[in-house]
Amino acid sequence: MAQFLRFTLIRAGMALVTLLLVSMIVFTLMELVPGTCAERYLAFKNTQGAAITVEDIEAEERRLGLDRPFLVRWASWTGNVFFRGEFGDSCILRLNINDLLGDKFLISLGICLTALIFAYLIAIPVGIIAASSRNAWLNGSLRFVSYLGLAMPNFLLALMIMLASTVLFGDSMTGLFSNEFRDAEWSWARVQDFLSRAWLPVLILGWSATAFALQTVRALMLDENDKLYVTAARARGLYGRRLLWRYPARHALGPIINSLGFDLNRVFNELPIVAAILTLTEAGALLLEALARSNDQQLAGAIIFLLTASIVTLNFVTDIALALIDPRVRRSVVGA
Amino acid sequence: MSAPLLSVSDLTLRFRTDEGLVTAVEDVSFEIAPGEVLGLVGESGSGKSVTAKSLMRLNARNAVYAPESRIMLNVDGREIDVLALRRERDMKPVRGGAISMIFQEPMASFAPALTVGHQMVEQLLLHTDLSRKAAKELSIEMLARVGISEPARRFDQYTFEFSGGMRQRAMIAMALSTKPRLLIADEPTTALDVTIQAQVIDLMKDLVSEFGMGILFITHDLGVIAQTADRVAVMYLGRIVEQGPVRQVLRAPQHPYTRGLLAALPRLDALDVPLSPVPGDIPSPLERPHGCVFHTRCRERVGPVCEAATPMPVELARGHVASCVRLTESREDVA
Repeated sequence: MAQFLRFTLIRAGMALVTLLLVSMIVFTLMELVPGTCAERYLAFKNTQGAAITVEDIEAEERRLGLDRPFLVRWASWTGNVFFRGEFGDSCILRLNINDLLGDKFLISLGICLTALIFAYLIAIPVGIIAASSRNAWLNGSLRFVSYLGLAMPNFLLALMIMLASTVLFGDSMTGLFSNEFRDAEWSWARVQDFLSRAWLPVLILGWSATAFALQTVRALMLDENDKLYVTAARARGLYGRRLLWRYPARHALGPIINSLGFDLNRVFNELPIVAAILTLTEAGALLLEALARSNDQQLAGAIIFLLTASIVTLNFVTDIALALIDPRVRRSVVGA
Repeated sequence: MSAPLLSVSDLTLRFRTDEGLVTAVEDVSFEIAPGEVLGLVGESGSGKSVTAKSLMRLNARNAVYAPESRIMLNVDGREIDVLALRRERDMKPVRGGAISMIFQEPMASFAPALTVGHQMVEQLLLHTDLSRKAAKELSIEMLARVGISEPARRFDQYTFEFSGGMRQRAMIAMALSTKPRLLIADEPTTALDVTIQAQVIDLMKDLVSEFGMGILFITHDLGVIAQTADRVAVMYLGRIVEQGPVRQVLRAPQHPYTRGLLAALPRLDALDVPLSPVPGDIPSPLERPHGCVFHTRCRERVGPVCEAATPMPVELARGHVASCVRLTESREDVA
């Protein structure tokens, strides 16, 4: 128990250090974008026909604190993020980023995590059973379905569902809310409305994630099944489900948990395309907008940081889960 | 002589592969009496482990047993036809009950995420009527018996916390805890340091004479065989080419392959004598030689007759049998 507590504390400390490093990298990347926030603020004025002087820009930089050294600016940005959860103002939209993001990031994260949970809830039992089954038909059809999931792009699936839904129900199922709730305050009815629509992006994202996870689980199980300790357990008289769940399945769980953090990132990257088609307003789309179109370094930095922080957090949680199931992990505090 | 504990006759085992049926074991017959140690010797790939695994039906799913193969196990006057067992459930009394197996790599044979104690108790609960508490006590006692210090603490540890020799001792403790009639030891000392090898072999010999069980001892080390076995069977490419009492086989080997193996041993008393290895490599099972399986590497081959027919086993002395055409010739004067 003491060993486990020590492990958790050290891992939490390491996660914090990682977050700090991430903030450093994200902040540096934000600085690498050509031009500063001050220039962008004033460029806006230019479109109104006013002339801009170098003095104007310098004054604006002083107002925004951009004349301070890099490290000081990083410290104040990181401090605001860590202690107050404040990301500052967007350079382009001149709005507070926290207001701008609102619950968009949480909704995106929620959709991705739900898709991931959905994927693994299906993939773990099905993959384990498929790997241990001699049934050629079952294995063949599972392989077909999961290759289909891997090969068929998400947007195609989204378009097909939209088409079917429009033809059959006259509702294209786009957007996360129906019209009446779009701008309403959060309420129980709004939650219900959200849930009645959110299953679609979850399903679309989960579909390929399931296919991917299924392949992982199956391969890991086949690997474990061939190991000597499984033969040794059979030689001691274990068989059937008891053998399967206590030996290969239990030992394959570690690498499966390990792949979760990686998968979250993958699903989040796929979200914007699906969101664009289903016209969802979520953070991934906002990130694309900020990065590719408007060069909004503050907004892009905030979203990237939030995403990375979610992945670091998830990795921390999976580390703890790993330590719970595998004594070797518990012992090697810093080890891989 | 009492009825054999185990009797294997005409065991032929093939694996179904993409290249067709591959023969791993052919016409293997041997017996083990209670309290007897049979050594099974041969190079890697000679079918020793496959033979051992077939006694507990542990071979891969693509194994096909020829219809004339028989593996009979005699437990308390009850005969079990091992190859007739169809379901995994029916094999339970054989696996871990009547027969226990010790593997070459003790590290890989324990599940890494379960404690040693958990795996020992699990096996006892499966095969005996002991309560969980009694099973734990017996397991700790067994760990103490094989010379593991602080057995109660070790009981709750994982194998990665054990040293190599300790793991093999724990493996032996686990294998013997259910008091099996037959112990299969598949190269139990190969992965160990020489000094620990001797300890483990002594330990096994002590426990076996105390428990009165039979042992099938698999190794490629003739020195270990000389120390442990009562009888020895020499395997080459899936066939037993010679078997008999250990002293007789080692002192007066009759089959060219056995002679080759003995000549290949380094001698500490004559370090300047060059080693004489058996020439060539063991052929791929996909290209089994016709006739005598050993003729491709045999220094003493007679001629076309070796490629034409599989030599019949010849009994040279009581219980000493070898299969070589030279022995047939000298006895029956077949030209």
